[in-house]
Amino acid sequence: MKKNKGKAGSTAEKEFVFEFRAGKHHCVLKVPLQFPAQENINDLHGRLMLLHKIPCYIENELKSSLSNFIENETILDYDREAELALQRLTTGDVDVNKLTNAWTRSYVETTLEHARPEEPSWDEDFADVYHELIHSPASDTLLNLEHNYFVSISELISERDMEIKKLQERQAAEMDKVMHELGNTLSDQDVNAVASQHFDAQQVLENKWASELKQVTGIQKQEYQEWVIKLHQDLQKSNNSSQINEEIKVQPSQLSELTDSGARMFEEQSQLEESFTIHLGAQLKTMHNLRLVRADVLDFCKHRRHGSSGAKLRRLQTALSLYSSSLCGLVLLVDNRVNSYSGIKRDFATVAKECTDFHFPCLEEQLEEVQQVVLYARAQRSSKEKDQPGSSSSCSLNGGDDKSKNVERNPCNILPGEFYISRHSNLSEVHVVFHLCVDDNVRSGNITARDPAIMGLRNILKVCCTHDITTITVPLLLVHDMSEEMTIPWCLKRAELVFKCVKGFMMEMASWDGGISRTVQFLVPKSISEEMFYQLSNMLPQIFRVSSTLTLTSKH
Amino acid sequence: MKPLKDAQLGAFTFFASALPHDVCGSNGLPLTPNSIKILGRFQLLKTITHPRLCQYVDISRGKHERLIVVAEHYERSLSDFQKQGKIVLQIAHEVLEGLEFMNKNGMVHRALSPHNVLMDCKGNIKLAKFGLYHMTDHGADVDFPIGYPSYLAPEVIAQGSFHPSDPSHDEAPLPSGPKTDVWSLGVLLFELCAGRRLLQNIDITERLKFILTLGCMDDIVTVLAEEHGCLDSIKALPENVLELLRKCLTFLPSKRPTPAELLRDPVFSEVSRIYTPYQKPVSLFSSSLRCAHLELPEDISDLCKDDDEDYLSQRAIDEVYHLWCLAGGDLEKELTNKEIIQSKPPICTLPNFVLEDGESFGQGRDRSFLLDDTTVTLSLCQLRNRLKDVAGEAYYPLLEDEQSSLPQSNSSNELSSTVTLPLIIRERDTEYQLIRIILFDRLLKAYPYKKNLVWKEARVDIPPLVRGLAWAALLGIEGDIQAKYESIDKDTPIPTDRQIEVDIPRCHQYDELLSSPQGHIKFRRVLKAWVVSHPDLVYWQGLDSLCAPFLYLNFNNEALAYACMSAFIPKYLYNFFLKDNSHVIQEYLTVFSQMIAFHDPELSNHLNEIGFIPDLYAIPWFLTMFTHVFPLHKIFHLWDTLLLGNSSFPFCIGVAILQQLRDRLLANGFNECILLFSDLPEIDIERCVRESINLFCWTPKSATYRQHAQPPKVAGDNGFGKTATYYSSDYQDIPKTDLSREPLALCDLKAEMSPRISAEDLIDLCELSLAGPTKRTKTGKPKIVAVDIRTGEDFNRGHISGSINIPFNTTFSPEGELVQCPASGVLQNYRGRVIVVISHAMKSAVMVRKQSHTQTPVYTGIFLQATSRFRNDVLLPYVGKRKKRKSSFP
Repeated sequence: MKKNKGKAGSTAEKEFVFEFRAGKHHCVLKVPLQFPAQENINDLHGRLMLLHKIPCYIENELKSSLSNFIENETILDYDREAELALQRLTTGDVDVNKLTNAWTRSYVETTLEHARPEEPSWDEDFADVYHELIHSPASDTLLNLEHNYFVSISELISERDMEIKKLQERQAAEMDKVMHELGNTLSDQDVNAVASQHFDAQQVLENKWASELKQVTGIQKQEYQEWVIKLHQDLQKSNNSSQINEEIKVQPSQLSELTDSGARMFEEQSQLEESFTIHLGAQLKTMHNLRLVRADVLDFCKHRRHGSSGAKLRRLQTALSLYSSSLCGLVLLVDNRVNSYSGIKRDFATVAKECTDFHFPCLEEQLEEVQQVVLYARAQRSSKEKDQPGSSSSCSLNGGDDKSKNVERNPCNILPGEFYISRHSNLSEVHVVFHLCVDDNVRSGNITARDPAIMGLRNILKVCCTHDITTITVPLLLVHDMSEEMTIPWCLKRAELVFKCVKGFMMEMASWDGGISRTVQFLVPKSISEEMFYQLSNMLPQIFRVSSTLTLTSKH
Repeated sequence: MKPLKDAQLGAFTFFASALPHDVCGSNGLPLTPNSIKILGRFQLLKTITHPRLCQYVDISRGKHERLIVVAEHYERSLSDFQKQGKIVLQIAHEVLEGLEFMNKNGMVHRALSPHNVLMDCKGNIKLAKFGLYHMTDHGADVDFPIGYPSYLAPEVIAQGSFHPSDPSHDEAPLPSGPKTDVWSLGVLLFELCAGRRLLQNIDITERLKFILTLGCMDDIVTVLAEEHGCLDSIKALPENVLELLRKCLTFLPSKRPTPAELLRDPVFSEVSRIYTPYQKPVSLFSSSLRCAHLELPEDISDLCKDDDEDYLSQRAIDEVYHLWCLAGGDLEKELTNKEIIQSKPPICTLPNFVLEDGESFGQGRDRSFLLDDTTVTLSLCQLRNRLKDVAGEAYYPLLEDEQSSLPQSNSSNELSSTVTLPLIIRERDTEYQLIRIILFDRLLKAYPYKKNLVWKEARVDIPPLVRGLAWAALLGIEGDIQAKYESIDKDTPIPTDRQIEVDIPRCHQYDELLSSPQGHIKFRRVLKAWVVSHPDLVYWQGLDSLCAPFLYLNFNNEALAYACMSAFIPKYLYNFFLKDNSHVIQEYLTVFSQMIAFHDPELSNHLNEIGFIPDLYAIPWFLTMFTHVFPLHKIFHLWDTLLLGNSSFPFCIGVAILQQLRDRLLANGFNECILLFSDLPEIDIERCVRESINLFCWTPKSATYRQHAQPPKVAGDNGFGKTATYYSSDYQDIPKTDLSREPLALCDLKAEMSPRISAEDLIDLCELSLAGPTKRTKTGKPKIVAVDIRTGEDFNRGHISGSINIPFNTTFSPEGELVQCPASGVLQNYRGRVIVVISHAMKSAVMVRKQSHTQTPVYTGIFLQATSRFRNDVLLPYVGKRKKRKSSFP
């Protein structure tokens, strides 16, 4: 829209007249010219010479008079336009205040010189401090501290689980007793009363624990942040860091004791993984890494306790890159409600709560913010659509009416293909989670490349480009769990679609960001068979061009 | 470009505005990012060279639409209102000179302000940031307004500002004319006279309103002076200065003079005598004499007077910048150090929510995206440090002294060892590049007189910075190409337009320059000019790719790009662009398959067996001279060598590519091979170049004889014509004798698996030539075994010494079967040698080749045709190869 500016509207044709003498003849050359002049004068001149077979002794004269003509006419045009604009002001067609305010706004909003001074932001300062510390010898201490906090939270959680379990057992026994007496001494109403009593008791207990957890995480977060700032100040004060180093190195001894990780070690072994290096592009090729992984989506989030192989390294890696420009993202498929009450959303929330997030607001707060933003976005959209009727039909691809109805029903809900983003510092391998909304359509076999879910993937990859997310994990089949209808042909068809679409998007990405090397992990559900997995891993090199292995040969 | 002198390199950065999410262009393709548009438009600025303007040097794209512009820079500017001993009139005159030159080139400054008016150490005015308005398409491609509030002309304010988030303005404001700069200059001069800033203490809205209200005033200068309490000092100004101020600060644009008019105004009558109008230096390719104005001073030592030992500053700005980059310069780092680039961690700027069409919400405005147009001086310390050991003589190499080896400096030992390093390392070596650039720069200045030396040096390597001109020199471009190009009609629609329009957006679009709208325009013009000026040839798809490297290298010189392309095509692709080019291409491909057979019989047999003929894959290779299959940076290295070779060099490149894929081709069948070539794997281009040179030296010249090749040029070379070297001259160019090869019908050619050679080449290969020293050194030549298949009697009558007689009629039965005979076993001893089959009956020789081919893949090879001197139609099947394999010739 911006490009179709008024320039085109104000073209005018003017006639260039040139007189010259050729021998006895008096010749007149008349050329209609378009203004504003887009053409190269030299070309125009050459064309005129050729077209009208103008003698070469006129050449220079024609050229100078042509360029003078164009120059003068252009100046006249400029003057006319400029004075028209000034006139509009004096006649009051344009409001002076509005005009100058617009100017002021553009200066204030776009230039540093005129912008309002920035209010110091705690988040960013903390980010700087943390980024510096984690890249210093103090990183070990930071991680250990984080881990200690993590341990205390998980103790709390296991205590909670235990207590809830006890309560449930007790209630079950009580209920049994009551049921036994049903019809004899107790009526249905009594049973209901007991049930509701039980429910209330559970609620009370859960709430109690929830608030306790919240309190503990709050305290932890505050303590942690204060400690980090203090450590940073201390480090800055004394360059003589040996003493500090001593101070830093207090804790690690306690950690080696905590080596229980049997269950998760076991889980890890059932992971299947295959990596590929691919080249994209026709002439200039960019290299990317692809990985096909069979795992549970939350495996990328769950913390393993220290001692399990590589857990600490992974943790360090995630911490090091938190404020860097190589982030890791994960696509989580969710339904159309922004909350964490059910299904994968609840599971994810549980995992996110296992450990305090020392950097970002907790998931609930982030989701609340998202809800606000969703409402705001809807309002913006509808006001825009009111402004420009007709454009709404063009921007929605399929069944726009259908959708808008859905939105009208509940503006808080999101639509398939839309996604919200949450940020985390406390997940094991992921910084950013894209909650992509999908509907039951993805379970059916016949989705196309124009499906909202696929378009959502594209937008996710675009956000990856603009925000330096260099590793992204995508559920290959667009589902997290397998079900009956997902047969082998279904899987193959779906995998092919997603592979091909992602390939297209990655090629497109090269034009967005200049071809930065990325890692894309394709995730398949755990319940998929080994055979199926290998079928998919055979399919991948057929769709992407896998780079050839480098063979080293000796020189002749 | 002009020398650096006391200037410095400066860099400033800004963001192009982001595109609206998911909008397609009218052609259905994605929109070009604004940063690329700016980058394309910027290129023109590099050619704007004027003593009053800061020379633009380079632009580079960073992440997220960031652009960094590098230009000539000075620390001193007018912003401190020190006049540096100059009177206001002089300053005004110098600024106007700059503005006039810009206007002549169709540009408007729009951002004139004291801190953009710089001064060099002699106090000369240099305008900075004059190209911002041009490169951003009158501000349409950036979010920020161009210009500074106090200096905006009233009509600029009245036309409004375009702000992306402002829904009331759908259209960008109209472009400003040259007269807006005159107003800004007026404000600037007023400030200089008053010694203080105007409208400093009021906010922008009020400032702009104030400027707009000036329209009702009679005497703007007086009003301004009263407003700022400096009426006395203004009144005290000389009359001509006051007059100038009044003229500049004329409210109505129609009454305000343009810079050009103002410059001729009587107010400047005193000062204009000091200034001589700027003469544009004559370009390398023009009809006028380059040395016409060259005058040596009476006393030669005058030239060395201001010799301050700082030779680097005598080099052109773009050279210095190029070297600065090589010496480890990093623009983003420099700007980050000065805190001009401040980026937030990306995780803090993520949006919260994204709609299906890609619009994102909940993302705070990132302060780091605001404009800070401070120019940062790039320190040359690191570069100077790097070059401190380079002797002064190295900056001025002597060209006439043929005896002394080039280059000559005390670090020449080091340099000669650098020459042996891989090209990629040489291209990144600061000192080496310095020496090479200087050498080439001097040689090219002396072009075409020093054409031979250019050829000689190009054989070592071509420095990337001068590649465009060096290629032009290798292609022998001369004359007033600009005038020729301008006289071609590139505007009138022709039927080919549609195809060109379709092809351009698909040609090397990964490259920023070629994908920019400016690049597309230039592409179109050059291609059209070629099509129009070659009426006997037509546009075939692939011509666009062929044009790409020339356009990329000569982006600011379409005429040169056109001239290079026009010289390149007849040299390497003679008649490939005929409307019916099948006979040319068929012959070419047949010769190519013979070349495969000669150099790699095993591969050739395999490919023939599976039916994977060159027609299936090699047409785009040769039709585009590999520009369709390789990215530009690889094409440059490939063509650096290609341009030194003759028209049969491409065959060798083709074979060299196949060699790199050899293992995979041998292991695969037809389908896999097709797939493999549909998306060619990465090719190591340096190895490819090396191998193709080897292959080329191995190939007898007449083996690549083509009857449809370019006919020999009429000898009419001018005095500076290069001495044809063995490798660069074509077989066709060598005077034809009765020992040369005769044309062969295509069907006959196709039937022969191995190439023929001429008797001349045989004489040369056997070193029988009487004509003094052979043209080539002995080592470069293949060792041959001559096999004479004539009857024993003929053989006894006369034969080439050392040749083996295996009579055709005794070795082969009438059915064409091989018969065991002792002589055939002899060949076993010559495994690994090239075998030349000599015969007078062509058919039998073909038979020998066929038999040997079917029986043992080892001995496929080349046919040579020898003629009269050894009796008519003596035929020399030239069988051979280096591949060792256990198989026996029966």
